[in-house]
Amino acid sequence: MKNEKLFFFTAFKYVVPADYEHWFEELAAAGWHPVKIGQWSSVVMRFVKTEPKKYRYVVDMQPTLKMDYKQTYEEFGWEYLGQMASAQVWRQPYSVERPESFSDAPSREARNKRFMLAVSVSLTLFLLATIALAVPAIFSDLSSSDRLQLAIAAGLFFLIAVLLSAVMNKVKRNIGR
Amino acid sequence: MNIEKIRKRFIPMSETMLYILLSLREEQHGYRVMLHVKELTNGRIILGAGTTYQSLKKLETEGLIRATREIDRKKLYVITKIGEQILTEEANRIKEIYKNLEGLR
Repeated sequence: MKNEKLFFFTAFKYVVPADYEHWFEELAAAGWHPVKIGQWSSVVMRFVKTEPKKYRYVVDMQPTLKMDYKQTYEEFGWEYLGQMASAQVWRQPYSVERPESFSDAPSREARNKRFMLAVSVSLTLFLLATIALAVPAIFSDLSSSDRLQLAIAAGLFFLIAVLLSAVMNKVKRNIGR
Repeated sequence: MNIEKIRKRFIPMSETMLYILLSLREEQHGYRVMLHVKELTNGRIILGAGTTYQSLKKLETEGLIRATREIDRKKLYVITKIGEQILTEEANRIKEIYKNLEGLR
């Protein structure tokens, strides 16, 4: 039996942090553990099969890693797996009670709001790019084939912006988890 | 910062924030705060790492606590004058609630 698996675009599939954590935990319970989390893990992530283990995974959003951030998590017993963009991934083995990193509702909300903020930054950039491409596509005196190319690019960027706003909505609907 | 603004932002205060602030009447770092709160509440409130970290950052940014020094990558904090004032106001608010609830079954 193969003991290695690749997963693609997982960060885009499980956009709600709590869902992403559960996905990791179900795989861990079946014996699948990520080899390493890095910048490209949101696109492709490698898992190897070893012993099934009860892990609590936590996905946190921290754009700047201050020294005491890692220190705090580690002193609380969390193992650092790595980061994809600003998403920090932690895990902790447990036996009975599933440990929490965000132990009250306001701090869970704050974590989820940081995710929404990060998505909203990309959303704004894609909208600006859409405008920057659409304006010359409509108003310039470029050749019609050039204008068509600009229009197609603008359309693609706009589509991404629409998807990102759907992501924001989904996180917002799950803000308390 | 304007005390009125801080009051608006922190009163009423979440239980988590209140206990963290209360713990920081003595200089401590994150993990020790968690242990102290756990002891104060007989194990009822166990602060998570993320909650502790982001609460400390928020309290520090708003000037209710300040970082004092670093020992082995651990950042120590202590309550500020403004923090003490907010804590006292919040305590008085809770005492009033307690008084008004007396006799309620």
